[in-house]
Amino acid sequence: MAALDKTPSGAARADNTEPILSVRDLRTQFFTSDGVVRAVDGVSFDLHRSETLCIVGESGCGKSVTALSILGLIPREIGRVVGGSIRFDGMELTKLDEGEMRRIRGNRISMIFQEPMSSLNPVYTVGFQIAETLRIHQGLSNKAAAERAIEMLALVRIADARRRAGEYPHQLSGGMRQRVMIAIALACNPQVLIADEPTTALDVTIQAQILELMVELKERLGTAIVLITHDLGVVAEVAERVIVMYAGRTAEEATVSELLDNPQHPYTRGLIGSIPRRSTPGARKTTRTRLQEIRGIVPSLREEIPGCAFAPRCSIATERCTSQRPPLETHGPRHSAACWETAPSSALTATSPRS
Amino acid sequence: MTTYILRRLLATIPVMAVVALFVFFLLHLTPGDPAAVIAGDDASPAEVDGIRRKLGLDRPIWEQFGLYVWNLLRGDLGTSIFSNLPVMTLVKQRLEPSLVLAVATLTVAVVLAIPMGVLAAWKARSAIDRVVMGFSVLGFAVPVFLVGYLLIYVFAIQLRWLPVQGYQPLANGIGGTLRSITLPALALGMTYMALIARITRASMLEVLSEDYIRTARAKGVATSSVLLRHALKNAAVPIVTVIGIGFALLISGVVITETVFNIPGLGRLTVDAILKRDYPIIQGLIILFAASKVLVNLLIDISYTLFDPRIRQ
Repeated sequence: MAALDKTPSGAARADNTEPILSVRDLRTQFFTSDGVVRAVDGVSFDLHRSETLCIVGESGCGKSVTALSILGLIPREIGRVVGGSIRFDGMELTKLDEGEMRRIRGNRISMIFQEPMSSLNPVYTVGFQIAETLRIHQGLSNKAAAERAIEMLALVRIADARRRAGEYPHQLSGGMRQRVMIAIALACNPQVLIADEPTTALDVTIQAQILELMVELKERLGTAIVLITHDLGVVAEVAERVIVMYAGRTAEEATVSELLDNPQHPYTRGLIGSIPRRSTPGARKTTRTRLQEIRGIVPSLREEIPGCAFAPRCSIATERCTSQRPPLETHGPRHSAACWETAPSSALTATSPRS
Repeated sequence: MTTYILRRLLATIPVMAVVALFVFFLLHLTPGDPAAVIAGDDASPAEVDGIRRKLGLDRPIWEQFGLYVWNLLRGDLGTSIFSNLPVMTLVKQRLEPSLVLAVATLTVAVVLAIPMGVLAAWKARSAIDRVVMGFSVLGFAVPVFLVGYLLIYVFAIQLRWLPVQGYQPLANGIGGTLRSITLPALALGMTYMALIARITRASMLEVLSEDYIRTARAKGVATSSVLLRHALKNAAVPIVTVIGIGFALLISGVVITETVFNIPGLGRLTVDAILKRDYPIIQGLIILFAASKVLVNLLIDISYTLFDPRIRQ
């Protein structure tokens, strides 16, 4: 398979324990006429090679901005990365210039977006749009790139790929367009694929197919995936590790089973509690439990939040939570959370609302 | 695709029919006896009668109209009252300068205005954007004849780079033609450029906020290619539409520009015919101008299919 031919080079790549992508205290701000919006306010995470990492959180908590920050795609007129570091394969992405970033985008780090209906250019054939990345990054001729584009369409399991390559986006269904987006993203066999809510706009049945396809291709091509979602069902299905984001910050980080079985941050617990489920198979109406909700709304990111951003909505918040920002503390192997009340150091005072 | 073009072609027939009807009745809607109007104030009754017979005005009106349309279809636009020459012959004599001026103006306007609009949209709210938009307001506000005289003053009289006025036919070499047409084309193109630059900027701004532009950037496409390949082609439909609409500006502008620069084209023919009340020429020119406008819009409609595959149905 030609896509697997690309061999890693350099000492850093040979070391497989080193994360491929390492984000530290990332802060991205937008400058509006109403003031500064702290869209991402100190997010940290590591992505290991061939790993699937999910970033979850409500709308407006900075998930997409984190993704766009990594690729340097925050429109310069409205915002920028103001602090922190993004290390990718031994390079500091925040220090690269536009030309150097361009050689990484779509080549070594790719991204797919939420809206398959509007993310493809309506006036070019899908074959052309896949071939374009190959021409830019691999220097393929028009003909070779077009042939490779057809192979990619077949790889994402689009039937009759040769004919489809000559079609325009409006001739394809939403699910097919998202497959095309995946084909574009994976065409250059990137080390990292960032998928921003790739299935949110699709029918439930198509969602499962697209996720399955991503997981399968990830395994085949060895791409590490950052999957951004607000759907814990998706997380449970595909993630190996999970970052829970709240108000532009990391609230909790753990392996998927650890997070779902033993959530530490009250926000994570709230998210898990708000998943609709049947308590027992074949349960009658009377035994249904009321869905838990998280009271309140995501805070405005225009003001600096001195304490824990979740404190105003938290049932176990104390004085300290509103005045001091909780650090990300280790709760166990590969599990950390930013909460004063559930931290191991204050484990005796903490009372879990779910126990 | 063929059906689309055929449909557009058929749609031009009723438009031209209405124009023919309007032009025909133009003469009959003017108050008083058309023959007397044409003959002028100090004509004798015998002269008026002669004109009436010559133009067939003594026959029933529907017969006159039928004959008029039949002649139009044969390419006969009637005969000038004063020179007694067929209108078509007069038009052919004057066609070249006007056509050259129109093509030159269109080229200058499109070639300068589209990059200006793209640049302004890309650097929106920057100094470049403000300069382009300022120019665009100025282009609309300043009349063609004023721009014409200013250009003549600076480039012909002060700098002596280009001729003050007149037209060099293509038969004498294209170099002379281009020199004689540069200033008129710039003067006439100013409004047109302003219009195209403004629409290009607005259309590009809209397209640049689309998701597929973000996709292109995420693919690692270079900025120039994002702007020209991914954005401009999507922004093209409103731009070519306004180029078509602006063609009407061009026709009316030709009349003024030809007067300012003393170019013996259709514009001058129009002005002279109006001053002399040579109705057959006026009628013939209206038909021709309308037909050229319809033709340009037909071409524009067809060009849409080049830019947007969704229209090809």
